Amino acid sequence: MKTAARPFLDPSVLARLAGIPLFARQPMQGSVSGRHESPHRGSSVEFAEYREYVPGDDLRRMDWRAYGRSERYYIKEFEADTNLRCCLVLDTSGSMDFGSRGATKIEYGRRLAAAIAYLAVLQGDAVGLTCVAGGVVRNIPPRRNPAHLSAVFDVLEAARPRGPTQLPTALHELAETVRQRALVVIVSDLFVDPDELQPCFEHLRFRKHDVAVFHLLDPQELDFDFRRPMRFVDLEGGASIFAEPNVIAARYLEAVRLYLERLRQIVLESAIDYHRVSLADNYEQVLGRFLTGRAGKRGVR
Amino acid sequence: MTFLYPALLAGLVLTALPIVIHLINQLRYRTIRWGAMMFLLQANRMSRGLARLRQWLILLMRMLAIACLVLVVSRPLGMGVLGWLTAGHADTTIILLDRSPSMLASSGGRSKLAASRRQLAETLGRFSSSRWVLIESGTLKPHELESPAALEQLPEAGPTSAATDLPSMLAAARNYIVANQAGRTEVWICSDLHSNDWASEDARWNELRSSFAGLPQPVRFHLLAYAEPPGGDVAVRVSDLRARRQGESAELVVSLRLSRQGGGDPVSVPVQFDIGGARSTLNVELVGTSVEVREHRIGLDGRHLRGWGRVSIPADANLADNEFYFTFDASQSPHTVVVSDEREVAEPLQLMASIGPDPNEPRTADVVSLQQSGDVEWAKAALVLWQAPLPEGQVARQLTELVDRGGEVIFFPPRQISDEPAFGLRWKSWSPVPDGAVIDRWRGDEGLLADTQSGMPLPVGKLDLKNICSLVGEATPLATLKGGDPIVARAEMAHGGVYFWATTPAPQDSNLGNEGVVLYVAIQRALAAGSAALGHARQLVAAGFTADGREERAAKWQKLAGSDSALSSEYALQAGAYLDGDLLLAVNRPEEEDTAGMLVDEKVSQLFEGLDFTRIDQVASRDRSLVEELWRPCLIAMLIVLLAEAVLCLPRPAAENARERSRGFAFGR
Repeated sequence: MKTAARPFLDPSVLARLAGIPLFARQPMQGSVSGRHESPHRGSSVEFAEYREYVPGDDLRRMDWRAYGRSERYYIKEFEADTNLRCCLVLDTSGSMDFGSRGATKIEYGRRLAAAIAYLAVLQGDAVGLTCVAGGVVRNIPPRRNPAHLSAVFDVLEAARPRGPTQLPTALHELAETVRQRALVVIVSDLFVDPDELQPCFEHLRFRKHDVAVFHLLDPQELDFDFRRPMRFVDLEGGASIFAEPNVIAARYLEAVRLYLERLRQIVLESAIDYHRVSLADNYEQVLGRFLTGRAGKRGVR
Repeated sequence: MTFLYPALLAGLVLTALPIVIHLINQLRYRTIRWGAMMFLLQANRMSRGLARLRQWLILLMRMLAIACLVLVVSRPLGMGVLGWLTAGHADTTIILLDRSPSMLASSGGRSKLAASRRQLAETLGRFSSSRWVLIESGTLKPHELESPAALEQLPEAGPTSAATDLPSMLAAARNYIVANQAGRTEVWICSDLHSNDWASEDARWNELRSSFAGLPQPVRFHLLAYAEPPGGDVAVRVSDLRARRQGESAELVVSLRLSRQGGGDPVSVPVQFDIGGARSTLNVELVGTSVEVREHRIGLDGRHLRGWGRVSIPADANLADNEFYFTFDASQSPHTVVVSDEREVAEPLQLMASIGPDPNEPRTADVVSLQQSGDVEWAKAALVLWQAPLPEGQVARQLTELVDRGGEVIFFPPRQISDEPAFGLRWKSWSPVPDGAVIDRWRGDEGLLADTQSGMPLPVGKLDLKNICSLVGEATPLATLKGGDPIVARAEMAHGGVYFWATTPAPQDSNLGNEGVVLYVAIQRALAAGSAALGHARQLVAAGFTADGREERAAKWQKLAGSDSALSSEYALQAGAYLDGDLLLAVNRPEEEDTAGMLVDEKVSQLFEGLDFTRIDQVASRDRSLVEELWRPCLIAMLIVLLAEAVLCLPRPAAENARERSRGFAFGR
């Protein structure tokens, strides 16, 4: 598969990650045959169950050996394999433009999203992309052809962080618009009230989507290790705040701690595949953990 | 509060440094584009109340630390009430120092005078003043000092045997202030509140108060009072002394008194007599507050009828009253000159003057007429009894010289009245005394007609007067008739005694001759006073200012015994035995120094009523200065403030934990 030279794509990383399949944690409803479990019975090689014959069943699927042993008619059913619809949600609000160690969160997010998109398309899954900020900025429906991947990369490259974060609204909208089960991968700093996120996650789960979240945080946002008085300019266009770090640090860190604690509680309750990511982390390792974690749960065929 | 280096207080401006640094720091802020604003907003909402107060407290602590540092380098002085009482710069500081013997009372090994000099030197050394002036009780002369430290070394600030006249010292201070345009003045009075020194009933106090209150410049008074009574102090004093011949030998008859303030248990006091190097001791039992030893006889070598001696007792709380000097001279008899042309007058006068109370002490009296008076050797006379027209010319001048030297003169009215006055008085006219008129008022407390030592009054009221001669001129009546006519009057003289009797001992004038008790006593008293003044041995009371100008002659005295540290210019003030030409002098403290009590606090306050006055009570044994440097407490305060600031600045454990927790929580590590 040919990909254009994108700054957020590292072929060597992609090559190493290509060996790890991307699985959903639950059956998917794809349009074509693929590598993912389907909620329906199909014709794959993986045995699913026996059931009694009812008139109208295909006699080719009758298990004659079972009949020989029990003189009863059983139909042998196999798992159906289908493809996966991967909806990538990239937060492009202004706060994603922050990064204290070179790369900003939007850049980091691009790498993650692009790699996942590549891997999904590589294994024949459909990939879509939704950029959200004050609302849904760009939306590309999931498609599985490699040419579509280029369009996704184009959108990723063109994404610019600006505007406020209205992630909950966008997620609710996404939950309603993606009609079939899909893997929804959210790449965001989640700088919204956790209590607003919980309904979003539950909404997505209600629609049978497998939700994965990459929570991007910069180390400085966690440590708040400033020494001098600072004027904090809101990247999302809000009012600036003048603060003496020594004075405010304790309360800032306390606020962060409470926020993270609440968020952890929400993702546990919502059964979200949650990954908290520091920008200091190697994104290859982050993705490796993400992929292997899923493979372990699903089992590789 | 006062400071050694008040100029450094300008450094208090530096207390604004933390605020300035804070503001500069605020201006040096860094701008950062920040994404996690939601946490900042939450943190801001939480940073109210105590957190903000903590920041203000930190700023306050830093300012306080700088203020303390500035105070430390400014060398603050702690003086309790003195701090605000003496704040500021004085143009002139006048020190009134009581040098009286009572100030030598000591406790803890230090006399009140030494303690006061030291404390004044240390205390005033902390203050700033353009001029330092000492007015000491001895001479009342202002001594300008380079610094208060000179007080400890200045000989003129040492002890004396003279009493203090505090009103005069204050008057001297006032005169100095007026004469020198002293400006803002601080007057420090250092005294033990001896009532004798303060003369609180003296009319001068009213004048002093009003004059100080009327001064254009502010004058503040600080009384450094050492009112602590000396414990167990016994004073010795010779109350009477006579030297008399006994054939080839002689003896000294000494009466002395031991006294103590407040009484106590009976004690045996060894009294030592030192006469010409020969010492003897007499043990005296002191019971109560005082005991009198009368006519203790000490044998003298017949060849030495003139000399000096000292009575002393063992050292106690006040060394100044443990010895008493005396001089004696038995080589000459008291001599009286009677000037009269009337035999009826001259004879009784001669008899009364020549018969002394002690047969061992012969007295002589010569009778001369008025015409012979020009040939009389007046220098040998201790008393002149003059019943003749008042003297004129040369004789009048000689009598004036005699009186100036301390001699006594008693005038009786002559038959022929002249208009010429003598000593400011003159006779006017004779007149008969109405029947039944007697002397109803006379001075029994002092003078020639004073009561006896046992308190018995002289029978002055029983005198039978027939003719009296009225007087013209200013005089102090010692005895008056019922109608107010003076019978005995004393001329106003600076020294010596000049008396005028309005009648004579002649039988036609009175019964002074026949019932001669009153006149005899008067003549004997006048003769004793004249002898004491004109003899070759005199007992003097130490004094700085005397009418006879003694202090000027004192520089020429030769010291026979006394304090080694006494300045020759202050011999008149220092107890001791001296030789003035052929005159033996014994100088001692005044009697009131042994007997007078302390002035009560209310009285002291009344004396300075209406003036800016502060009293500071001190104890001689206290070794601490009135002022103490407070840099140590300031330094400790600074350290405490810095410690508090450090505690407030410490990163709160909760914050560190929160950082660790948030980081660990975030990434599961």
